[in-house]
Amino acid sequence: MLITFFIPAKFAQDSSQLLQLWYQGVTAFFVFIGIFNLIKINVDKIQRRLRDWQYSIILLFFLGVMLGTGFIGGRDSKIFLYFFENFQVPLGATMFSLLAFFVASASFRAFRAKTPEATLLLIAAVIVMIGRIPIGYLIWNKFPDLVEWIMQVPNTAAKRGILFGIDLGLISMALRVLLGIERSYMGGGER
Amino acid sequence: MINTIGIWIAALLTLAIYSFLYKDNPFYKIAENIFVGVSAGYWAVVLWYDFAWPNLFEPLFTKGQWYNIFPIFIGLLMFAPLIPKISWMIRIPLTFTMGIAMAVSITQIVQGDIFPQLQATFLPLRGISVFNVISNLLIISGVIFTLTYFYFSKEHKGALGIGAKIGIWFMMISFGASFGYTIMARVSLFIGRVYFLLHNWLGVI
Amino acid sequence: MKIIESLAHLDRRIIFLLVALAVIIPMIVPLNLPVDITKPVKNIYDKVESLPRGSVVLISTDYDPGSEAELYPATEAFIEHCFRKDLKVYMMGLWPAGSELGNIALNKIAKVYNKVYGEDYINVGYRPGGAVMLLSLGRNFSDVIKVDYQGIPIDSLPLGRRVKSSRDIFLVMTFSAGDPGILHWITYFHARYGVPICGATTAIMAPQQYPYLSSGQLTGLLGGLKGAAEYETLVDRKGRGLRGMDSQSIVHLLLVGFIALGNVILLYQRRKK
Repeated sequence: MLITFFIPAKFAQDSSQLLQLWYQGVTAFFVFIGIFNLIKINVDKIQRRLRDWQYSIILLFFLGVMLGTGFIGGRDSKIFLYFFENFQVPLGATMFSLLAFFVASASFRAFRAKTPEATLLLIAAVIVMIGRIPIGYLIWNKFPDLVEWIMQVPNTAAKRGILFGIDLGLISMALRVLLGIERSYMGGGER
Repeated sequence: MINTIGIWIAALLTLAIYSFLYKDNPFYKIAENIFVGVSAGYWAVVLWYDFAWPNLFEPLFTKGQWYNIFPIFIGLLMFAPLIPKISWMIRIPLTFTMGIAMAVSITQIVQGDIFPQLQATFLPLRGISVFNVISNLLIISGVIFTLTYFYFSKEHKGALGIGAKIGIWFMMISFGASFGYTIMARVSLFIGRVYFLLHNWLGVI
Repeated sequence: MKIIESLAHLDRRIIFLLVALAVIIPMIVPLNLPVDITKPVKNIYDKVESLPRGSVVLISTDYDPGSEAELYPATEAFIEHCFRKDLKVYMMGLWPAGSELGNIALNKIAKVYNKVYGEDYINVGYRPGGAVMLLSLGRNFSDVIKVDYQGIPIDSLPLGRRVKSSRDIFLVMTFSAGDPGILHWITYFHARYGVPICGATTAIMAPQQYPYLSSGQLTGLLGGLKGAAEYETLVDRKGRGLRGMDSQSIVHLLLVGFIALGNVILLYQRRKK
């Protein structure tokens, strides 16, 4: 894969393309093994009557319903999409929306200007919070421009510096994996 | 009628999740487990129909593309841990995917991230307004000082210490901006649910 | 001061209630606050306006229901803009639920503009494989995409036959909530094939995209629900983005108040010591 990047010849690009397609095929099985494990863990929980085992029945029931309606009715069957729109979408959306409350609680209890750096962070946060809402524009019509300047100058500078650090770290990690020095992703020790 | 039932189901599940804000309770746990079951089932079905069957299995069985057996076989080795004697074979698909992903990422991180970002940091300091000169200087210095903070091979003393300190200030402004945006994001998610409850379910707005 | 001491131990459920009221009341009694347009959003609008009629725009819906509130309104507004300009929409999703959410928006808007599936728009569903998939996709679409989301062979559809590689795509618009998403489109697809990328991200991800905006790798950016509201204003569409801005404003002011109150309590406690 590394070598074919530098060789524009058709045979090199074709073989690179083939490996990439195989990669996609293999990663699909990661999802299947994940679902298999989910079933196995919950069946085990029910069999051994572990804590909250009753909820595992609900989980497996709805997993079965989705698999059944999907594989029998088809991917675009009305009943499959009905479960998606009326179960998965509202549940997923609501789960993440809980965080709005916890962030509000945290901003009252934890967001304190205890050091000069924390004060700077707080000031930037407040400017962005007010500048990014329509009321900010009404308070001062240059507020949104100030926020854009903060995003495009100090924010970009810091994020870019962090990005370089992350990228160099990723490259060194990738080289370690390719050279066999890093094997933790295989799990279970060096052998 | 069926749509109305669906909206009521969605609304009740929404309220079940929100009941967690008062206290952890069985309604929340039921909703949580329904979510996991439905999401996992959905993913498996979509993956099969959108990718696995048309790209892997159908060409193998109906179009004679015999070489598709290789990714299928490597992928099936993910189930190797079920048989203790061949459990070590799970390393094959793991190393295969990691190798390709790592190789591709090395070239693309350099081509797609490092070089363009480096190029974008070389900003003009002449022939533009004073305000833009100051902004560009701030960007260039901000990048350098931020990188200085992450240089841990030498103790942060003297010039290096000052540079690291300035780098921290840039990062604090950046993190403050990120915090402001994070709050915006979280609140937006709640706004979406309230809109559903008031508009689709109750019809108040 | 007893008030400050009692506020320091305020039950968080009261905070939750205040947040809920701050969202619900402006929804029921709208303030209709005007929304300002920022440059990153305008860039997307201008880019779409500059595309010739019949150009193919690839829309990638890389999010799930957890980010639906922020990105779905932007998806609808963007699709409407594309159909109004008579552009062809080629939709896919790097996330499984994203492809379906995008499909809901696509079919809803297509009905309004009498667009024909297969000719004016197409949805090829979920594409796994992330960044590596994007590299093989740009080289040859038919290697990666065999059927659309309904299982119809892609070559039997006019738009499916037309798009063979990245050269046939005029613009990529990604609605991204994480990984894989906008970063992969930029560093893999744009870097290798040079196709302009525009993005709509959750507000959490938006600050991280500014280095790419600054370098020109990203043409434009819609950040969060505010970005969606701005785009709805530009395309003159009364959607959920605009509707949510009143609540967003009041809650932000409430939270700034909480932060200020928290720091007043801190100062009081420090003085007491």
